[in-house]
Amino acid sequence: MDIHDFLHGAGLVFIFLGIGTIIVAGIGLFRLPDLYLRASAVGTSAGLGVASIVIGVLMMDFSWLNLAKAVVAMIAQLLTSAVGSMAIARSGYLNNSLPAEITHTDDLLKTRRDQHADSPDQSTT
Amino acid sequence: MSPTSALASWPWRMISFLFWYAKAFVLANLFVTLDVLRPRKRMKMAPAIIAVPAASTSDTEWTLISCLITLTPGTLTLSISREHQILYVHGMFVASRESLVREIQEMEDRMLKALRRNPGDLSRPLRVPDVVPVDQPPGGELE
Repeated sequence: MDIHDFLHGAGLVFIFLGIGTIIVAGIGLFRLPDLYLRASAVGTSAGLGVASIVIGVLMMDFSWLNLAKAVVAMIAQLLTSAVGSMAIARSGYLNNSLPAEITHTDDLLKTRRDQHADSPDQSTT
Repeated sequence: MSPTSALASWPWRMISFLFWYAKAFVLANLFVTLDVLRPRKRMKMAPAIIAVPAASTSDTEWTLISCLITLTPGTLTLSISREHQILYVHGMFVASRESLVREIQEMEDRMLKALRRNPGDLSRPLRVPDVVPVDQPPGGELE
């Protein structure tokens, strides 16, 4: 039963790690200044949090079938959080949500038709 | 690299890429978490949107590299231009253009070596082309 107890403890550690990651992601939603920082930091941190909880549960209740399920769940979770973040950020950019002031370089601004034509000085912000 | 030795080292390249990516993923998570929890005045954030020259060619490679970049906390693919071979990457801690470009290109190099049986030519255009907006945008981003 020794290995069983060990796996149980390790599973708990992973679950609380996942909960902590999700809480930090939630705090980040309030603290980060613009859409892109939130999407890049929070979107995927939340994905990692869920993945970590899945690993923890797998350790506490291990079987080969559960391992297969957990792998599928983690791949789907990480893939959808990545694609979702990209879709949100891209549509935000296309809808004129400009990056926060502290963004020091913006190469994508050069490809915008409206910004390029009349106000090139905005690219220096 | 001869065909046989390339085939022999392929599994090794795949596994080493997986481990390297897992390490980069966890480290990036740690940095982002620390910065989010840091008091606002001492935040080290220096976000930027950088055009990174890329060596990917096929659909699979473009999709995978942009997903992997987005999956790493702190970096985010905003858009790609296959015509100019550019990834537009939003980074959270960008000290300089070169540092982000180096980081992304190292990831891409490792990914392409893991993905291709024979990595072949991984060179990129030396100069970032100036993308000039056109009046008539192409039908889709991927054209």
